[in-house]
Amino acid sequence: MGELLFEAKGVGKTYGANTVLHDIDMQIYGGEVIGLIGENGAGKSTLMKLISGVEKSSMGEMFFMGKPYSASSILDANHQGIGMVFQEQSLVGSLTIAQNIYLGREKKYSTCGFVNWNKMNQDARKALERIDMDIDPSKKVRDIDFAARQMVEIAKVLDVVTEAANGHAIILLDEPTTVLSDEEIRKLFVQVRNMKEQGNAVIFISHRLDEVLEITDRIYVFKDGEETAVMQTEGADVNLLYEKMIGRSTTGEFYVEHKQTVPSDEVILEVNDLSLFGAFNHVSFELKRGEVLGLCGVEGSGKEDVCAVLVGDAAPTAGTIKIRGKECTFANPYQARKKGILSVPKERRDEGMIGILSIEDNIIVSHMDSLSNHSFLSAKKTRRIAQEWVEKAGVKCVSINDRINQLSGGNAQKVIFARALESGCEVLILNHPTRGVDVGSKEEIYDLVRDMTAAGNSIILLGDTLDECIGLSSRIIVLRDGLVTGMFDCPVGDKPLQLDIVQKMM
Amino acid sequence: MANSKKSFHISDFSKYMCLVSIVLVFGVFSVIIPNFMTPYSLQNMMTEAAPLLLMAGGMSFIIYTGGIDLGAGAMVSCTCVLSGVYVAQFGNAIIPIMLAAGILMGLTNGLLVTKLKLPSFIVTLCTMNFWSYIALNLCPNGSEIIPMDKRFMVQWATQKVLGIPIMFFIALAGVAVLYIFQQYTVYGKAIYGVGANVSATRLAGVNTDMAQISAFVISGACSALAGALYAYKLKSAVPTVGDALTLTAIASVALGGTSMAGGRGSVLRTALGVVTITGVTSGLNMMGVDPLWKDIVIGVILIIAVCLNTDTRGRDLIVK
Repeated sequence: MGELLFEAKGVGKTYGANTVLHDIDMQIYGGEVIGLIGENGAGKSTLMKLISGVEKSSMGEMFFMGKPYSASSILDANHQGIGMVFQEQSLVGSLTIAQNIYLGREKKYSTCGFVNWNKMNQDARKALERIDMDIDPSKKVRDIDFAARQMVEIAKVLDVVTEAANGHAIILLDEPTTVLSDEEIRKLFVQVRNMKEQGNAVIFISHRLDEVLEITDRIYVFKDGEETAVMQTEGADVNLLYEKMIGRSTTGEFYVEHKQTVPSDEVILEVNDLSLFGAFNHVSFELKRGEVLGLCGVEGSGKEDVCAVLVGDAAPTAGTIKIRGKECTFANPYQARKKGILSVPKERRDEGMIGILSIEDNIIVSHMDSLSNHSFLSAKKTRRIAQEWVEKAGVKCVSINDRINQLSGGNAQKVIFARALESGCEVLILNHPTRGVDVGSKEEIYDLVRDMTAAGNSIILLGDTLDECIGLSSRIIVLRDGLVTGMFDCPVGDKPLQLDIVQKMM
Repeated sequence: MANSKKSFHISDFSKYMCLVSIVLVFGVFSVIIPNFMTPYSLQNMMTEAAPLLLMAGGMSFIIYTGGIDLGAGAMVSCTCVLSGVYVAQFGNAIIPIMLAAGILMGLTNGLLVTKLKLPSFIVTLCTMNFWSYIALNLCPNGSEIIPMDKRFMVQWATQKVLGIPIMFFIALAGVAVLYIFQQYTVYGKAIYGVGANVSATRLAGVNTDMAQISAFVISGACSALAGALYAYKLKSAVPTVGDALTLTAIASVALGGTSMAGGRGSVLRTALGVVTITGVTSGLNMMGVDPLWKDIVIGVILIIAVCLNTDTRGRDLIVK
C-alpha cells in the first residue's frame, strides 16, 4: 500500500433540510483502486461532486497529500491533481477531440492569441495513445460514438491530472462502463491498472458488482447517504455486497406487494402492431384496468420510444392505439391527456417539474381545464385540491405556494405523482418514477403506485431498476432491439427471476 | 441554493424594486421641479401613461412565456394611423375594429411562432415591418390631423371625470382585465407554465401552442387599443408614434421585476414600472432636457432593471 493520498473526515452534504450525505470517513492510498457502491440516491455521486469541486461540502473536512483540501471548481480540483470522469458526458460536441482535451488549457499552444492546432493535435494524439486509443484527434466529438467519447473523456482527465500531480493523482470514474462494450471495458481496466501502477489512486463507481470485484482493492458501501461498510475486495462476493447495499434480503415488503391488485378483465388500452421507424416494430399488448405493466429492456431497446408514442410525443409510423375499444391518434401530449393518457416523465427536472411555479400550480396543471368554469379557475378550489394532495402524498413543504424546485427530489416526485393522479387520466405512464429519489420517499411512491391501481388506474411502468419493475408490476413485457421478446406474469408470491428476464433483454 | 441567505436579501430587494424606484423618481423630481406634483402635471402624466399601461400590460404576457414582441411599437403606430384616418368614417366604432385588427396581428405572430417553431424575436422583428409599412403607406406625408369637424368624436377620451382623464380609466380597466386573466384563468396559468418550463408543461398535457398564441393575441389587442388611444390623444394619425415605445414597454415590464426568461411576473408590477418610466420621462421633459436623451435614459433603466432581476434568480433558469 502506498502513501495516504486523500482523507475525508465526517464529510456530509445537505440541501435545505434534506441530508443526502452524512458523516463519511474515507482514506485513499496511492496505487489503490477504491470501489464505491450503493443504490441510486445512496450518495455516491454526491461525494464525488464534493471531491471533484462541483459542489461544496456542508460539514466535515477533507485532506489531500496531508494538507486541508477544498476545491472551488472542477478546474481548481484538476490543478490540484484530482479529476473526475462524469457520468453525464461533459465534452463539447461541436469541438474536436483535441480541442476538448485541452479545453481551458489552450494557453500553452497559443502565441499572440493564435493557436498552434498542429501541436495541440500531436499532443492530443499522445494523450490518446497513453490509453491505447487510436483515433484522429481533429475529429469532432459529435461524430464519434459514446464509447469513444467516454475514452476521450478519460484521456482528458488523465492528461490534466498527470500534468498537475504525476504519480499521486486521484481519478474519479463515475459509472464509466455503462456505455462501454465488453471489449472496451477490458481496455479501460488495463488503463485503470496502469494508472494504479504509476502510484495514482482511482475511485470506481459502478452498479455492476462483478466489475467492482474484479478491478478494486477496497470497497466502500453507501446506503441512504451513510457509509455502511468498508471491506477488502479480497474475500468479498456479490451476495455480501448486495446485502450491505440493500440492507435486507427480501424485497417483497418494500414494494408493498400485499397491496398489489389482481387486474380486472376490462381492457383499457390496446396497442396493435405499433411501430416507430428506427425505434421499435410490431409492438402489441393489452393493458387492463388496475394493472401495472412493466416494460423492460436495456437502453435503446425501444421502451422509451413506446412511451413517447403513447403520450403523444412522437407519431407512430404504423399500428393502432385503442382506448376502451376506440381507435385514437394524438398529435401532442395535450390530446393524449384528453384521451386519458398522461406520463410521469423520466427527467424530473427538465420534463416533470415546472420549476419556478408553485406546488399548487404544479399539481393542478394537468387538470385545470376540467376544474375551470368557462376557463375561470376558483382560487379557493385549486388551493383546497393542492392542500389535499400535499397531505395525501406526504409532501414535506412549508406551504403549497413554495416553488417546486425548492423541494428535494423525492418530494418533487410526489408532487408530480399528485399531478398525474389529479389529472383524472386512466392510463398513467411512469417513466423511472424513483430515479434519484431517496429510499424513504421510494416506499411512499410505491405506496402511491398501489393507490393508483386500487383507484382503477392502469399503469405502464419503466422501472429505475429491474428489481423495482418486477416488484411493482403484475405483468412484464421485455423488449430487445425494438421487438417484444418476452412476456412474464408477476403475481404476488410468484415473481419471475431477474435472470430469466435479463436473458430476454440481452 | 447553497448561499440561500445571500440571495434571499437580493431577491427581497427586487421584489420591492419598482416601489423603491417610484418613490425615488417622484421624490427627486418633486424636489428639483416645483411644479412636478401639481394636479395639472399629474393629469398630463396619466394621459401619457394610459396607452403605455395597455401596451406594456399586453407585452407582459409574451414575456411570461419567455418570448418578446419587438413589433409592438410598430403595431401601435399602425393602429394609431388606422384609427386616425378612419375615425372620421366609422366614428367610435373604430375602437372595436382596432381591437379586432390587433387580435389578427397577434394571431399572425402567434401562429408563426408556434407552428413554424421560430423564436419570437425573429418573427416579430420581421412582422414589425408589415405593421410599419401599413402605417407609413397610409400616411406618406408624415402625420395626418383628424379634421376639425370630426374632432368632437374623439374629444371625450381626454375629458376628465373627477379630475382624471377618461383614457386613464380605460387603461385601468384594461389592466384589471389582464390581471384577472393572468390570475384566474386556465390560459393565464398555462402561459406561466410555458415560460417556466415549456417541455414539462407540454408533457403535463397542456396545450402549450394555444397558450403561446393567446399571449400574442392579448398583446396584439392591447397594442391596438394603445394605438387607438394615441390617435385620440394626439388627435392625429402619427405613423412613427410607436417607434420608441417597444423599448419603453419592455423597460416597464423589466422594471416591474418580471423575469425576461419567463415564468413569473405580474401586470400589476408592470403597471408600477409604467408609472416609474412615465415619471422619469415627464420629469426630464419638464426640466427641458433634450428629448433625444429620453431613450438613452430608458435604455439605461432597462439594463439596470434586467441586471437586478437576473442576479437574483437567473441561476435557476440558466443552469439546468
